[in-house]
Amino acid sequence: MFRKKRKERGHKMSDYILELKDVVKTFGGVTALGGVHFQLKKGEIHALMGENGAGKSTFIKVITGVHQPDSGLMLLEGEKVTPRSTEDSAKLGIAAIYQHVTAFPDLSVTENIFMGQEIKNKFGLYNWKLMNQRAKELIEPLSKNIDVNKPMSSLSVAQQQLVEIAKALSRDARILIMDEPTASLSKKECEELYQIAEHLRDEGVSIILITHRFEDMYRLATRVTVFRDSRYVGCWDVDKISNEELIKHMVGRELTAMYPEKTAKIGDVVFKVNDISKEGLFKNVSFDVRKGEILALTGLVGAGRTEVCQNLFGVLNPDSGYFELEGQKINIKNPGVALNAGIGLLPEDRQKQGLINELPIYQNVSSANMKKFVKGGALSEKDEIDTAIELCQKIQLKANDIAAPPSSLSGGNQQKVVFAKLLNRDLKVLILDEPTKGIDVGAKYSIYEIMNELASNGYAIIMVSSEMPEVLGMADRIVVMRNGRVATIMENKNITQEMILEYSLQSADGREN
Amino acid sequence: METKNKSFISKMTESRNFGLILGLIVLLIMAKILTPSLYSFNSIVSMLQNNAVFGLLAIGEMMIILTGGIDISIGSTLSLTGVVCCRLMAENPNVPAIVWVLLALLIGAVCGAFNGLIVGYFKMVPMIATLGTMYIFRGFSFLFSGGQWWFPHQFTEGYQAFATLRILKIPAILWIVLIVFILAALFLGYTSKGRRIYAIGTNKESSKIAGIKEARVVFLAMLICGMLAGLAGMLYTANYATCSYSIGESYEMTAIAICILGGVSINGGRGKVDGVFIGFIMMSFITYFISLLPGLSVWSDAIQGAIIIAAVVLNIFTERSAAKRALKERGALI
Amino acid sequence: MGENKSNVPVRDLTIKQGFKLSKFLVSWEMVLVYILLLINVVLIVAKPNLYFSNGTIQSIIQSGMDVCPLVLGMILILMLGDIDVSAASTMIFASMVTGLCCDTGMPVIIAVLAGILAGALCGAFNGFFVAYVEMPAVIVTIATQMLFRGIVKIILDVNVLKNFPSFYVSIAWMNFLGIPVALLVFLVMAAGFVFLLQKSKFGRSLYIIGNNPTCAQYSGINVKKTKLTVFIIMGAMAGVASIFFVGRMGGSVSSTMGTGYEMTAIAICVLGGVSTNGGKGKVYGPVIATLIMAFLTYTLGLLEVDANSRKIVTGFILIIAVLIPSINRQLLANLKLKFIYKGNKNVEALNIKTAAEVKALKTEIDDVKKDGKLSAADKDAKVKKAEEKIASLQKKCKEQTQIWLKEQAEDEKRAKERFNKK
Repeated sequence: MFRKKRKERGHKMSDYILELKDVVKTFGGVTALGGVHFQLKKGEIHALMGENGAGKSTFIKVITGVHQPDSGLMLLEGEKVTPRSTEDSAKLGIAAIYQHVTAFPDLSVTENIFMGQEIKNKFGLYNWKLMNQRAKELIEPLSKNIDVNKPMSSLSVAQQQLVEIAKALSRDARILIMDEPTASLSKKECEELYQIAEHLRDEGVSIILITHRFEDMYRLATRVTVFRDSRYVGCWDVDKISNEELIKHMVGRELTAMYPEKTAKIGDVVFKVNDISKEGLFKNVSFDVRKGEILALTGLVGAGRTEVCQNLFGVLNPDSGYFELEGQKINIKNPGVALNAGIGLLPEDRQKQGLINELPIYQNVSSANMKKFVKGGALSEKDEIDTAIELCQKIQLKANDIAAPPSSLSGGNQQKVVFAKLLNRDLKVLILDEPTKGIDVGAKYSIYEIMNELASNGYAIIMVSSEMPEVLGMADRIVVMRNGRVATIMENKNITQEMILEYSLQSADGREN
Repeated sequence: METKNKSFISKMTESRNFGLILGLIVLLIMAKILTPSLYSFNSIVSMLQNNAVFGLLAIGEMMIILTGGIDISIGSTLSLTGVVCCRLMAENPNVPAIVWVLLALLIGAVCGAFNGLIVGYFKMVPMIATLGTMYIFRGFSFLFSGGQWWFPHQFTEGYQAFATLRILKIPAILWIVLIVFILAALFLGYTSKGRRIYAIGTNKESSKIAGIKEARVVFLAMLICGMLAGLAGMLYTANYATCSYSIGESYEMTAIAICILGGVSINGGRGKVDGVFIGFIMMSFITYFISLLPGLSVWSDAIQGAIIIAAVVLNIFTERSAAKRALKERGALI
Repeated sequence: MGENKSNVPVRDLTIKQGFKLSKFLVSWEMVLVYILLLINVVLIVAKPNLYFSNGTIQSIIQSGMDVCPLVLGMILILMLGDIDVSAASTMIFASMVTGLCCDTGMPVIIAVLAGILAGALCGAFNGFFVAYVEMPAVIVTIATQMLFRGIVKIILDVNVLKNFPSFYVSIAWMNFLGIPVALLVFLVMAAGFVFLLQKSKFGRSLYIIGNNPTCAQYSGINVKKTKLTVFIIMGAMAGVASIFFVGRMGGSVSSTMGTGYEMTAIAICVLGGVSTNGGKGKVYGPVIATLIMAFLTYTLGLLEVDANSRKIVTGFILIIAVLIPSINRQLLANLKLKFIYKGNKNVEALNIKTAAEVKALKTEIDDVKKDGKLSAADKDAKVKKAEEKIASLQKKCKEQTQIWLKEQAEDEKRAKERFNKK
């Protein structure tokens, strides 16, 4: 049905179609991969698991030729290869399907499939008829209702993923990497995807499945490899390892030691979210947060957490529902209004949303509250510098001096600059969207300390986090979101990672629709 | 499956050409009432003949807008090639005229390549770069002309024939424009180089991952645009049998107006040759219409400016409503 | 992990780097001053009699001042990363409004204000479409360039307005205590813009928006409103420019005048170090660049280069001024990567790292040499040790580079063979 050629391809040399040994990759002193191993058998579905930041995505980039390893071996059917670009890896028969699909939204499905390997007639012109026909042949076994002439942007995420799979197949891919393929799919769509993956496996395609969901792993994979903190932990047969053991390997450390003791007293409700909805993003979201409390907003990536935060901060405006701040109804039109009312957001993407890398640290710190420094119509640079130094010393910023650009700092210290920017205002509610994303372990602890101190000072904190240990270690209450809705709100007492996971995934009753 | 349920209006907003043709019909009816002589074959042909160079310029501009850029130097390129060809033609009347066509393409290619170099490879903002070259090319045009004018008696017959020779009752310049439109449609629709132009316009990141060399594609688009502007310069002088360094001033604006009218997205990646063709016909009618009515000629700049704004606003709202619809469909998931 | 707070010394974050003369002397603004001086020297050498004759310098400066209000407005526009090519049309539009008001016999002050207000309205029109409809500024201002001038053409047709307040001509042509009035007005306005851009809250928000509009929004800055304000200021400055321009033209205006002024204004800003990508630049640079442009144009005029050909020079200045900063590091790094490191990013990273380490060691050597407390023998020993380290680092780097490049060549060869087999 797919390609018959594949089965005939020789059985030579090694048992493994792809083998990586001792792969090391560093970026300017930061170790992204510290000697990892990986072995993929022919016709196997192999799960790759690990926390966020465990090195999975760097690993994939090494396989697909985006990065070249500093040292280590990559063997394809026992032969050493070093792909230096995605083109190279495509020629070697390696294809990756990313979670955020990288496609050409305005171009048709056919064109997306055949980009770079178009079929031409004898005049050197595209043979659209044949391409459309071939595209249909490739797509039809995967899904019946994708029109190959439609632009990519008109398809749902699940459909776009199928197109990417078709694209990989059209290139005779022998190794298929799927990066969290089920993260934003409905239950029905997941089931369809499972069947397709199984079918591909039967056709002889080897699949590397990166996933956070145990369900995916149990359903598809025969073996599982775990990475932790950029290192290789181990490889097990899926039916010989328990859930608990696997989580222990992924987390690998005692939770309690990682997080500072929380001392804040919890007071009255400060901020209340009432039944807000936004077309296509989330629906009927309600929760509240109290003084001195850390409320965690968790769930899978794509569940709508970041979008909810953007609505709380006025970057987006909800279609329906309302907010209450200290019992008063409040219309958060834009971030300026939010900040004036006392609501601050530490955005998810530091580089794009939080920092101005071209300006010195002190100007970054004052950027959210310039009014404060106006003296006689002009900004008083001296005041700015003094205030920034005071704030930055309080949170122990490690920088050369206060006029250095944020780009010269490490990730953790950059995050502190964004913190200082928010602390420069008198806030009541602080929304932290993935506050420790891309920060190394040591620096995380000091971010947690800052959070605790803020809570003690009476801030109400809403923390969005994908890292379950962080949620369990820091939060007083936990809101789990699933597919744009609040799945549950629970006190952080005797909660386990599995419980959160269960709420994050669709439970037995399935998703709506 | 859901297409059946779509209302007539939403279909109309989606089909850009349909709206354009509708507008064209309204325009034609108005013109008919005001000037009954409009529909003679000859007057339509001469109207199109006089606007033909805009067709060439619009196709070139379209390729650049598709990449997400803009080129406002094409009017000057037209002037430079026109002047160089005219001067050399007047000085060497015995050289076969086809040489001047090739020369025009060459000069245009050099101008386009220069733009392509600084925009594609040196990553200059297209607007600033072509603003600079617009004055450079115009300046060279003046230098080469020495401020001189060329009049019909200086033009050789062979030279003029490229624009005015009638084949099947239709002047050669229109045949050339038609051929260029067809070639452009083939190039943009059926060759990998042409499709790359769309690809980098729609998503630069994906293009990089797919191994498309952005600089090379931008360079190519600007090169082609320059060549077409060069060809337009030669044909323009051949058509009117007059030339000076000041020809083609603000022609780039008309070309941009035609593209936008024809549904080319200013953000790049979207737009079709047939749309631009209809835009070209429509713009020809508008200019003709303006020239017919006494006292209206001073209105042409203002009307063109207003058309650009209106067309972009229309484009933007169509795009936004399409995006909203897509979001709604995806929203069914929740 | 988790240091106890009381044990951690408070870090000194005060700004260490003060004013550095060597840095100041090679700053872009100073380079512009050198260029200005150079042009003056050329003029002195070429035409000494003319240069030192009475009133020459004044008239040179006066000749370049008609564009100065547009330059000031354009700085703000470019700061946002936008562009306004309708500035010259707006200027003519404003001139027309003033002229028409004067024709009807209105008081001078009202006529002038009406002109500036008309400019501001044109700017608001641009700003509305750029900020609130979110159209690219390029397209909007291209269209309004035609629209505004088109309206002038409709109203004036081929007529010339000649009735303007008399002080227009005085500003453009008179001197005060030997200094051109236009220059004085320009400097006063420039001082205002220095305050607006470099000292005020508004100016800071422009830097923030120009560098990172998303971050500006997240910092609570009303990006749309700020953009609209900037376009309104640009329009009002075009209105002010109409005073200089009409004065320069001897108190008359027609619909075809003033084409290309927007280009000159943009070229001056870019030459003055304002980035076309937004967020970078100061007011001083364009102020000096305005003078450079005046002297340059005048010099070219003396060399009998006509007005049309001078546009070639302006065009090249525009392109070269934009290219100079982009040619520096990034481009060189890319070329180095491509040709020396053969596209191998690992080799590039290693070489950069080694170079940084070597540099650190070298400064260490310098420090040791300067250190007065150490004895000569100690010094020599330390220097020698550091030098040995440098040598070993460089050797290691070289060897590794060769190994990697060899590997790469082998890989490529193998890859070729593999694909040829198929």
